[in-house]
Amino acid sequence: MSLITRNIIRTLVQSKGGRIKCTLIPGDGVGPELVYSVQEVFKAAGIPVDFESYFFSEVNPTLSAPLEDVVNSIARNKICIKGILATPDFSHTGELQTLNMKLRNALDLYANVVHVKSLPNVNCRHKDVDCIIIREQTEGEYSALEHESVPGVVECLKIITAVKSDRIAKFAFDYAVKMGRKKVTAVHKANIMKLGDGTFLRSCEQMAALYPRIEFEKMIVDNCTMQMVSNPNQFDVMVAPNLYGNIVDNLASGLVGGAGVVAGASYSPECAVFEQGARHIFSGAVGKNIANPCAMLLCSANLLAHVNLHSYSKMIKNAINKVLLDGKVRTKDLGGQSTTKDFTNAIIFSLTHP
Amino acid sequence: MAVRLLTKLKLIPELGGAAYSSSAAAPATISDFDAQHKTPVIRKQKHIPKAHYGGRHAVTMLPGGGIGPECMGYVREIFKYIGAPIDFEVVDIDPNVDNDEDVQYAITTIKRNGVGIKGNIETKSEASYVTSRNVALRNELDMYAYVMHCKSYSGIQTRHKDIDLAIIRQNTEGEYAMLEHESVHGVIESMKVVTASNSERVCRFAFEYAKRTGRKKVTTVHKANIMKLSDGLFLETSRRLAKDYPDIEHNDMIIDNCCMQLVAKPHQFDVMLMTNLYGSIVSNVVCGLMGGAGICSGRNYGEHYAVFEPGTRNTGTAIAGKNIANPIAMISASTSLLKHLGHYFHADLIRNAVTRTINEDRIMTPDIGGTASSSEVVKAIINNLGR
Repeated sequence: MSLITRNIIRTLVQSKGGRIKCTLIPGDGVGPELVYSVQEVFKAAGIPVDFESYFFSEVNPTLSAPLEDVVNSIARNKICIKGILATPDFSHTGELQTLNMKLRNALDLYANVVHVKSLPNVNCRHKDVDCIIIREQTEGEYSALEHESVPGVVECLKIITAVKSDRIAKFAFDYAVKMGRKKVTAVHKANIMKLGDGTFLRSCEQMAALYPRIEFEKMIVDNCTMQMVSNPNQFDVMVAPNLYGNIVDNLASGLVGGAGVVAGASYSPECAVFEQGARHIFSGAVGKNIANPCAMLLCSANLLAHVNLHSYSKMIKNAINKVLLDGKVRTKDLGGQSTTKDFTNAIIFSLTHP
Repeated sequence: MAVRLLTKLKLIPELGGAAYSSSAAAPATISDFDAQHKTPVIRKQKHIPKAHYGGRHAVTMLPGGGIGPECMGYVREIFKYIGAPIDFEVVDIDPNVDNDEDVQYAITTIKRNGVGIKGNIETKSEASYVTSRNVALRNELDMYAYVMHCKSYSGIQTRHKDIDLAIIRQNTEGEYAMLEHESVHGVIESMKVVTASNSERVCRFAFEYAKRTGRKKVTTVHKANIMKLSDGLFLETSRRLAKDYPDIEHNDMIIDNCCMQLVAKPHQFDVMLMTNLYGSIVSNVVCGLMGGAGICSGRNYGEHYAVFEPGTRNTGTAIAGKNIANPIAMISASTSLLKHLGHYFHADLIRNAVTRTINEDRIMTPDIGGTASSSEVVKAIINNLGR
């Protein structure tokens, strides 16, 4: 049976209507432009995915859809593709939790996965970087518990719980097993935060005992960042609490070409939200048609693989590889002069002319 | 006391690779075999978060020997077609190796995934210190209840039509305690262990099962007229628990009579509850009534883990690789797996396709009266998916 027939059968039986529904949050900054690129590609490839679009923004509260609607939609569809939401440094309402954090907490999207992989023909200092960074993103420094005990003295609470540490550690090892990886590195600072990070580390150690065929090592976060920029190839899967994960994510993304080329995803037990690996809204490029849609397209390919549409996923990934290998169409961040639109068209061209 | 201490030690078998090789265990310490079989008490397990991410489940797959690997191949093929949100972690167990490392690893993977699907695992070695792998798996994971739901297919020619009964079997103790010794030369004693705690758990399970699936009657199968204390305890426990379920009728039957009744008038049974060995016998009798080894599937349940397998536990080594093995049992096990994980939509798709293939299209393997090969049956099922 040919690939196409198989796909038709699969999608026929997949959902009652024969199509898959996916929540779409364009986000702030260049988000809407990138999401548009994904929609164009899906349309051109005839991918049976329907988007349920919600404008969701913290900096634009009057236009934003209510949190409950977005949460309900994602909980119903189980999948979502999302642009980046801008988070202001200053809270007008006095509330400390950002919209991003609210969304994550409401859906319990506790695990963030960023797969940092060198792309063909993207010139960087390091070659063949291929590591997966897993980050806990519902507790730790992001607890939004800050207060001024006496004037001039501010305390910020970092919360680490054994339950959440257990499950993120388990997630990391399970992900390593699923992806056929060999090593998991726990990133921590337990030499200073002996109790907080110590709990995290202990959870990782306990889980490691359940995976005798996967190597486990620990690394202190400062050393880890140094190793990352000097010798990134030593890393395989990394697991980190919230803030360290955030920093390592961005650092690693920088190694392979920046925010425009790295895809990520957040998982709860029930849902998966696909978004860029390094969260930057790139507000300087809004409306200029210069942002790189590569990361978003990779996200969409991962989304398709997640819902078992593997052949479509491969199609998109191959098209991206082909366009990058050709090297004729490059956006500004990769040293070219092409526009977002050019890149999208090049992808569509290579999809339809394989 | 010693027994309790022992189980405590066995709680964390993952620690240290050296603990795996039973054969290499120093004689001063108690061997894995002893720990495995001579401690028929409830094992307490540490709670481990389940492998359930973004709506997808990770499931351990143990293909086992004989026809296991080919049947697992069919299951994967079907799962791929319907896009079942399951990621299999395949663990192969080499039947010829004399140590338990692979088995221990398999058990560890089930512990962290929570769910497994298995074929029958061969234990080639007959040395007394090498444990039967299937028994080891059940004991180590403390899967105390075994469920086999037998429902006739109208497309299969059998003496009795429309059988619909469930067999629930104590899965970890009884005759399978494997406590045997030669007290004087030429006299062997084999111990059958029945504990109140395990009996209560499995009886409770049976009544809850009956309640949840809307069944009317539970029959306890026993031999308490001969084994007044051991089977008596089991029977007493079931009678006591029956009082908690006034809506469900409860009766009991002696095993020999039960077998006769089964082959003569199987429709009188609804849910059958029994100890280990009787369960093994009765489930095979019922499988025979339904049309053979290749149809029914079984489920092993513990407090934390569930493992699904074909109903009769035989490997079918003789027909392996000949493309004539009946894939229905393994496919049916896979639908139970999907149901257990809450993927009812996908489970129903497969269930309906299988029923249609057998009852309407009559595409079957030779063992149940058809002429098709295994792969033809699977192809027919795939064509019927979503119809």
